[in-house]
Amino acid sequence: MPLDAPEVPGMSGRALTPMFRPDPYLDLTDYEADADLMVLNLGPQHPSTHGVFRIKLVLDGEVIIKAVGYPGYLHRGVEKLCEKLTYSNITPIVDKNDYISPMINEQAVNMAFEAAAGIEVPRRGRWIRTLLAEIQRVASHLIAMGTFTLDIGGAIGGGASMFMWAFRDREMILDLFEDLSGCRFHYNTSCVGGQRHDITTGWEKRAVEVLSIIESRIPEYERFMSENPIFVARTRHIGVLSRDLALELGLGGPIGRASGVDVDLRRDAPYHCYDELDVRVPVMTAGDNEARFLVRVAEVKESIRLAKQLCEGVPEGPICGAKPNIGPATIKIKTGEVYVGVEGPRGELGHYLIAGGPGGKPTMPYRLKIRPPSLHALQCIPYLLPGNNLSDAIAILGSLDPVMGEVDR
Amino acid sequence: MNEAIAPLLGIDVADVSDFGMTVPADKHFALATLLKTSGYGLYVSVIATHFTEQKKSRKVPEPVPEHFQVATVLRKPVKGAALSFSWKVKLDVGQPIDSLVSLFAGADWQEREQYDLVGVTFANHPDLRRLMMPDDWEGHPLRRDYAIDTPHHPWR
Amino acid sequence: MAVSDDTRTYENPFLDKLLSVPGLDVAVGSIERLLDWGTSNALWIFPMATSCCGIEFMAAAAARVDVDRMGTIVRGSPRQGDVMVVAGTITVKMAPRVKKLWDQMPEPKWCLAMGSCAISGDFYRDIYSVIPGIDTVVPVDVYVPGCPPNPQELMRGLMRLQDKIHLQREGKWSPPETRPERDKMIRPEIGRVGDEDRDPLLSSVQLDRARSLGLDGNEMRDNDDPTGRMLAPQTLSIGQHNGESPAAGSDA
Repeated sequence: MPLDAPEVPGMSGRALTPMFRPDPYLDLTDYEADADLMVLNLGPQHPSTHGVFRIKLVLDGEVIIKAVGYPGYLHRGVEKLCEKLTYSNITPIVDKNDYISPMINEQAVNMAFEAAAGIEVPRRGRWIRTLLAEIQRVASHLIAMGTFTLDIGGAIGGGASMFMWAFRDREMILDLFEDLSGCRFHYNTSCVGGQRHDITTGWEKRAVEVLSIIESRIPEYERFMSENPIFVARTRHIGVLSRDLALELGLGGPIGRASGVDVDLRRDAPYHCYDELDVRVPVMTAGDNEARFLVRVAEVKESIRLAKQLCEGVPEGPICGAKPNIGPATIKIKTGEVYVGVEGPRGELGHYLIAGGPGGKPTMPYRLKIRPPSLHALQCIPYLLPGNNLSDAIAILGSLDPVMGEVDR
Repeated sequence: MNEAIAPLLGIDVADVSDFGMTVPADKHFALATLLKTSGYGLYVSVIATHFTEQKKSRKVPEPVPEHFQVATVLRKPVKGAALSFSWKVKLDVGQPIDSLVSLFAGADWQEREQYDLVGVTFANHPDLRRLMMPDDWEGHPLRRDYAIDTPHHPWR
Repeated sequence: MAVSDDTRTYENPFLDKLLSVPGLDVAVGSIERLLDWGTSNALWIFPMATSCCGIEFMAAAAARVDVDRMGTIVRGSPRQGDVMVVAGTITVKMAPRVKKLWDQMPEPKWCLAMGSCAISGDFYRDIYSVIPGIDTVVPVDVYVPGCPPNPQELMRGLMRLQDKIHLQREGKWSPPETRPERDKMIRPEIGRVGDEDRDPLLSSVQLDRARSLGLDGNEMRDNDDPTGRMLAPQTLSIGQHNGESPAAGSDA
């Protein structure tokens, strides 16, 4: 039974240790307890479910016994829609999957198309893609940190401080992106073969300034969190995810690295220009909420360092290796089957493409599947939530940082 | 890599594409177990595709019956060389495939989603029901013969 | 029309009786103005943020564009909300929940559709699992277009809602259900790229049709009122054709 597991020393009331693995299909018909069990619906509309996600919780008092997740409230049929669109039209559609880091979505899907078509991206195009991906990673982690503290503290209870700071810094980055592509969001700046928009020297200088400002504020955020005893009490030893479970669930991003899975596709399976850079990857073994938060902060620092390094020494040359994607039927792929995975801010973001195929057209994909890292992160819910209090459920969900747009597609 | 694995399981390695080799359905679970024990412990994805029947024509040299294809991708979490390994299984209509839930906990929702959207059944899955669509939905939306604007709800 | 029948206008029958007393309408009018001033400057938002527009909504509530300076606070409960901001795509699975929460909100309540997914379904419109616009489920008062709209646009939408509350009191606004021309609004038939039967001349046909209605962007703008806040709402109805039959429900 879940409540029989040994307690973590020093934390009374926390019944789970990393060695114990709850059963997501736990049958509660034989459960013996003094009080009746209560079924609570953490419904699709909730201020802190990070989108529309439903969790059915079975509670014994305040302690969660079983948790079941129900995604699908934002299923927009993107994979089916992409079968009807040409390759150059798919970029703005996949922007909306992981809507917190659209740059990386676009680049990943265009990498899949380029791999299937055999198009090579010129060096400047790859360099710009790397730079934009790193800056986007900073923006995405800022939102993750901001909303995590908002979940823990509440809008009026002090969590809004970090939220406001994170969004203030993110607005500076979005100004940069607006200069580049014209949109704060959903940029459509990556195309099959490279980039659509080019960066200028003034843009690089401003990017370095913005990143320096954010870098100078990071120690303040760290101190705000690590010197706050309430934050520490609510994040240490809560939601411990073991390394074996993280591997089985397929978690490789900040969540996996906080549990000891030392995999980063930028370093281990390099793409773009990452083979020319030295990517230092933060790895922790604690696997609790605090570790996930600290890994994200460390990744922000690392991404700022990489982005500043990339801003000096942008090579000259063309940015797009294929014909400019102006017309809809420019890119034609006869046959191909490819899986391309990139390192997104939430884990491995992959796109599987079957092009051509019997009965398919050369201008449209036959099957495009998006491998969302947040779907695997949400599969932790039945394993992490049992044994914790209801308020910790919100904190754990916040630390997993799911984006429902890519979970449901 | 394919050439090293195929003789261990008795798979004919002639059917190899850039993506991976085609494995018969009964060797699917054994291959996954072999890979997990040899280090490919990071579960990446499973993808099911529906291929409609193609009659013989100028573009299609041989008639192709209606079938499904299930592709699985695993990754090796090794620092410096995180390679991925992928393979395909070809299924007839109605033929189930073994579920990898007992090996990888992450296969749970992925297989449920493929069942929901494409209609491939996974044998030995503890809880195979719909994930994305409402529970009373009829049909499998990601099949090639399913119209994208199929109405379901009276609000449409 | 697939809009619910519950009344939304803020009418108090007791006040109507009071207005018939000679001389009392001046005092009652002032009280009404006070109540409207209070309502419009303290619109508590109940967010129904499903996807990307939810992030821009959060950005509007954050530091740079701060909707809190209009008195709006984001409350998580429908019981305490005045305005339901629907931000993001609404799917078949989510729509009954939106309706349930809308019904749980007490009067007076308004709905603001943010982003093109909530207005019309955006390009997900014809997909099997997407509701083509939240106005098929709940009555919408203000539409804020964009994908996603800038936070400033959301602010402008809330300000337009404030104007609407004042106009309702002055009697210059009638709810959409009573406007007959709304039924004649024709959904545009834009073929999707890749469809075999997409007519390349369709866009020029649509442009001619828009011009024949007198809808030319430059004519509508008034230099004294560039934001269009002072325009009476009835003149902005699009789709008012002369004798054309309303479109059928299917648009596949």
